[in-house]
Amino acid sequence: MKIFFVTDIHGSNLCYRKFLNALKIYGVDVGILLGDLTGKMLIPLVERAGGGWETTFMGRNIVLETQEELDRLKKTIENVGYYWAHLTPEQFADLKADQAAQDTLFKLLMLERLREWIALAEERLGGTPFKVYMAPGNDDHFEVDEIIEGSSVIVNCNDRVVHIGEHEMATFAWTNPTPWETPREKPDEELEPMLEALIAQIENIPTSIFNFHAPPYGYALDLAPELTKDLVQAADRRVHVGSRAVARMIEKYQPLLGLHGHIHESRGVQKVRRTTIINPGSEYSEGILKGVVIILQKGKLKDYIFTSG
Amino acid sequence: MAEEKVFARRASGLVRGLSLLDAFGVGFMNQGLTPSMWVMISLGLSVYTGGNLIIATILSAIMCGIGFSLVWGILGGSMPRSGGEYIYNSRILSPLIGIAESFGNAFVWIMWIYVLAPWTVDPGLVMLFQFLGMPEVAEFLSQPLALFLIASLVNLIALFFLIFGIKFFARAQKVVMSLGILGALVILLVFTFTSRESFIQAWNDMAARYGSLSYDQFLAAAQAEMEAAGKRLPTTWNWFDTLGVMVAGSWLFAYSYCITFIAGEVKRPEKSIILGNLFAILVPAFFMLWLSIALYRTVGFQFLSATAFVDEALGGELAGYTLPWSPHFVGLAAVITRSPVLLFLMALSFVLFNFWWVALSYLAFPRILFAWGMDRIGPKWFTDINPRWATPVKNHILCFILGEIGIALYSVWQEQMSGLSVTGLEIVSVFGVTALAATIFPFVKKVRHIWEASPYNHWKLLGIPVVTIGGIVNLIYLAILFYFFIVMPGLEELTIGSLIFYVLIWGLGIAWYYFWVARNKRAGIDVSMAYGELPPE
Repeated sequence: MKIFFVTDIHGSNLCYRKFLNALKIYGVDVGILLGDLTGKMLIPLVERAGGGWETTFMGRNIVLETQEELDRLKKTIENVGYYWAHLTPEQFADLKADQAAQDTLFKLLMLERLREWIALAEERLGGTPFKVYMAPGNDDHFEVDEIIEGSSVIVNCNDRVVHIGEHEMATFAWTNPTPWETPREKPDEELEPMLEALIAQIENIPTSIFNFHAPPYGYALDLAPELTKDLVQAADRRVHVGSRAVARMIEKYQPLLGLHGHIHESRGVQKVRRTTIINPGSEYSEGILKGVVIILQKGKLKDYIFTSG
Repeated sequence: MAEEKVFARRASGLVRGLSLLDAFGVGFMNQGLTPSMWVMISLGLSVYTGGNLIIATILSAIMCGIGFSLVWGILGGSMPRSGGEYIYNSRILSPLIGIAESFGNAFVWIMWIYVLAPWTVDPGLVMLFQFLGMPEVAEFLSQPLALFLIASLVNLIALFFLIFGIKFFARAQKVVMSLGILGALVILLVFTFTSRESFIQAWNDMAARYGSLSYDQFLAAAQAEMEAAGKRLPTTWNWFDTLGVMVAGSWLFAYSYCITFIAGEVKRPEKSIILGNLFAILVPAFFMLWLSIALYRTVGFQFLSATAFVDEALGGELAGYTLPWSPHFVGLAAVITRSPVLLFLMALSFVLFNFWWVALSYLAFPRILFAWGMDRIGPKWFTDINPRWATPVKNHILCFILGEIGIALYSVWQEQMSGLSVTGLEIVSVFGVTALAATIFPFVKKVRHIWEASPYNHWKLLGIPVVTIGGIVNLIYLAILFYFFIVMPGLEELTIGSLIFYVLIWGLGIAWYYFWVARNKRAGIDVSMAYGELPPE
């Protein structure tokens, strides 16, 4: 059985469309798209007096004169995982001054994008043999679960155990605390009983898959640049930022496979006793779909290959 | 300044920490200021004796300032990832070309170890001990066994600078850069404040002390040796030799591209990478221009070419010349000043910049192998990261072993010109391929989404994308270098041997690629999945 595992596409339309197509191109049986699913930036397209629009994109102030230019920019914004909104100068000024209104607009756009994704999956995957699983990550709001749940072709595997062939897969979206206070994060002490409760549902642990968004602490998949108090990365230092609770669960139960994400820069694989842990990394902002194709055979991990498309 | 129109929500994400100054530092250190000035003068003028250093410097600075800054700056700013040129070439051109080019580049970084670790010893440490009046130590270091052992120690120290993480490396780089620049400034000031008469007097005084050739006698003897070798010592410069000197001069101007290995950590990459490249070219150009003007004024055009020939082609061995060091440009400064502190700083500058080049190989080579491993074009252990030090330790050790084999060969062979051979390989493998990728970047369909999101897509001149213009200027510069590398007078054996070597390296790269494709296929893995384009529609 072949599994295609992808994580952290952060709202990128391009990456999502590639993910749907990759199932056929890579010839896999199962696709797993783990969070984070939603984007981080909102690009206001502000109307100009006398016509046209202005905005800031990728650090550059842009003036758009024609509808064609506007449409092209919108597509680019969607492809890199950002959201856009038409605003008058007055609306922009009001929004800038109102954090709560920004949050509301963000949530609206994030959920709208996700609904579009689910609709696209229905269109492309309906009637195909592919089994697709999706779950949020720590950056995703709780409403995300409901939208995935509503799909007829995608299974929301968050916080439950599902069967993938002869393997059981437990999925967990929460992470240990980050400097950004994201929606789904808790201290490791609180994560551990949640994980224990989830793992207790697995019948055959040696052949199981731990699909946990946070990588285990102290291994090669959780290395990120150390941050200063201003959240600026110190390029000369890389530190472990993974979850100690996840590490303890893997060391204690030793499943067949650990699938992780969260730390985009830490694409890699490592063996932890009998468990192979993998983080495919992410380059969503460039529209590049990073993933890993995993081959399982006779209850064992036969091989894997990292992909970049 | 216009108001920024963008909103960000609270979500995990990093703010890049490296400044323009940091980016400049990495690029500048890979230009190897003092040893590169030695390469341009001694290796350049010994072959192309009628070269004009001032004109060669200005031409190189203009062509590299436009070509390299635009090519590497725009590619790095459009794809700001810390993976070097492999990322650009595999995406814009093709994975196979990306791997073959990357294979060539991996060899280049190993070759730098086996050329530069020995150079740190001889002429580096040799020069230092000669200046400090310890000729017996200098003589000992020149012996093949001592050269091998000390160069191996240099290689080992460079390994330790990187294998335990980049923290110590980043801090040490600031010290090395400061001391290296200080030493280079001392050399420049010594020449600047010395007249031609004072230099000749200082030379003749020292010659009398050591029973060596006077200024005029040295010139005559060198001229005779050159004529015996079928060369001539021109009284003035010519265009052919000036363009030829640019081959050796490329060491000062073509290596800022190393910034792309840290592109993923640079703040405002769309500005910092391109400006970091530009400044890392212009600053060495300023130093070299200053040095050239000072040397021509103080030493004289003919005498400088003669010393370069004696230093490089004759290995400092000219009948009757008995000064305690070879007449390279640092040695000429040492003729003028006898201050032990200044002499120490001048030689230290050479040693430190040279050593840092070796250390930079440990920054690049293990990461190249890691990228191959991730794409399954190599064994799985290429991707092993040591969790404690966050580095690919096994790749570092392989780099050390390969470097040691090269150092052993160099210690026996001792051909300094092989340094230019590495440049030749980089021209055809790394720089040429990447310049081509930059030239066609705006027109390649499969990377159109990257180009459309690029902050440079509106940079146009007469309707032509500036990156394309930069790529063409870069290709012209590289074509000049390659032509003069091939036609180097008296070095046919080296250039022909190098060409065969380049073909071999590319062939090996392609064979390596197909070997791993076949091997993975047998295991049920289709390697094309690692790179294959995924259509979004």
